[in-house]
Amino acid sequence: MARVPIADYFEVTEGDGAPARLRGSRCPACDEVFYPRRLVCAKCLHEGTDDVLLSTSGSLYTWTWVHVPLFAKTDAKVSEYAVGQVDLPEGPRVQAILMGAPGDFSIGMQLELGLETLRQDADGNDVVIYRFTPAQAGR
Amino acid sequence: MRFGGTAIAGVGQLRFDTYRDVPAVELARDAGLLALHDAGMTLADIDEVFVGYLGLQHQVGVKAVKELGLTGLPVTHIENASATGLFAFREAAWAVSSGRAEVAMALTFDKMTDVTGRGSTPSSMSRGAGRDQLDASILPAAFFALWAQRRMHDFGTRPETFAAIAAKNWNHGALNPLSHRQPDHTVTVEEVMASRMIADPLTAMMCCPADDGAAAVIVAGEDFVRRRFPDRRVVRCLSSAAQSEAYSPGHAFLGPVVGPPTMTRTTGLEAYDKAGVGPDEISLALCHDAFANEELEYYELLGFCGSGEGDKLVADGETSLGGHIPFNTDGGLIARGHPGGPTGVAMIHETVLQLRREAGVRQVEDARFGLVHCVGGGSVCTVNIFEGVD
Repeated sequence: MARVPIADYFEVTEGDGAPARLRGSRCPACDEVFYPRRLVCAKCLHEGTDDVLLSTSGSLYTWTWVHVPLFAKTDAKVSEYAVGQVDLPEGPRVQAILMGAPGDFSIGMQLELGLETLRQDADGNDVVIYRFTPAQAGR
Repeated sequence: MRFGGTAIAGVGQLRFDTYRDVPAVELARDAGLLALHDAGMTLADIDEVFVGYLGLQHQVGVKAVKELGLTGLPVTHIENASATGLFAFREAAWAVSSGRAEVAMALTFDKMTDVTGRGSTPSSMSRGAGRDQLDASILPAAFFALWAQRRMHDFGTRPETFAAIAAKNWNHGALNPLSHRQPDHTVTVEEVMASRMIADPLTAMMCCPADDGAAAVIVAGEDFVRRRFPDRRVVRCLSSAAQSEAYSPGHAFLGPVVGPPTMTRTTGLEAYDKAGVGPDEISLALCHDAFANEELEYYELLGFCGSGEGDKLVADGETSLGGHIPFNTDGGLIARGHPGGPTGVAMIHETVLQLRREAGVRQVEDARFGLVHCVGGGSVCTVNIFEGVD
């Protein structure tokens, strides 16, 4: 049984405890880095970008604790959750669900990318989505 | 753009509410008739219609116009999320200003109570739809709470300031018969703070409701309007600025409802420049207060005070009716309501009443210049400036 990402923005590297990585784009003309991947550079409009695997940790720019369930994730088991925006060292700001309790988060703290299993697909694979988790909390 | 010689010929708005048993085209019809009556017209006088809605199937706009008559006039659909109504107005004003139409209408309507119950469909859960799923993974309230948290971090803003803005708009709504929310008592900061937490620090009473409604505005040349209504104050369309997002470092592409708040600043500057009017001359403003903390940001971004000074503006009551620069005099999105398509046209409706000086107990004294602002998901922003003259 393997883990498969729900979207191709990130890849799940199996074995040796290798972490999940987000896949972004770097513009060969101006070096700006984007997440998710894109064909046309949003800064200089150059056509054609290079894939780049992004850092697995970043700084929390802002966050909130949401007291109502996710409305898009119909199989959600949670009634409350955190969401935030994480600044990665390469430049992209990534908005994502955060794992933890309300007291776990503060602006400027380091977060690490992690995976959560959403469900199993028809082949028995775990379909996973990425989350960010406070670095010191471990996984 | 600057509109040479265009003015408002008529406005109409249905009270925003839940209209479960009323078809959207009938909501549109009734708002359209109100605007036509206000302008002393029938559909035969209208050269072109721009319809706007978010939550309904395609083609509904043309069918809505048919409820007003079948004259063969051109009808075009406009959609730009929460800013749909203002973008439909903008096209109507431009159609007149360019000379291609003598009279044009923006007809906007929606039934958001149908949309909010819909949620995601099973088909969107299939692999390959992941992007859509991630994109929609948080509530608008959660997204704007991200702004609020960052604001509190950067400027020490307290949640009570957001509550004060919400209470103001609820209380403005109590003065407006067309407001969805009609509190029967003076809403206090404490009451807003004590309402159910949605996304920290935003409570339910700091958030706009989901509702249904319709609104229409008719634009014509100023001379045309003066001839029809020689004794009524004329409301001129001075300028309309509009933007989609411009790239800046730190732009979050996936998930946000709207882009960086600074989009409002650059759009506002263009609208002021084209109108030849500055923030000091504006008598009242209507802005996209879907969530109370947004309004605080827009005080500053629209130039009514410096960065970080909005909190003091609230504490001093300057943005309430009777203050120096009243905001959302009709209750705003928080009280008057936010059905989507008609929201921006309802903002114009209130501005026109104020600039005609027909706003009754809500009347802003000596109102002359009105500013109307909206952002919309995607995202877009528009700022429009009007002038009332004898």
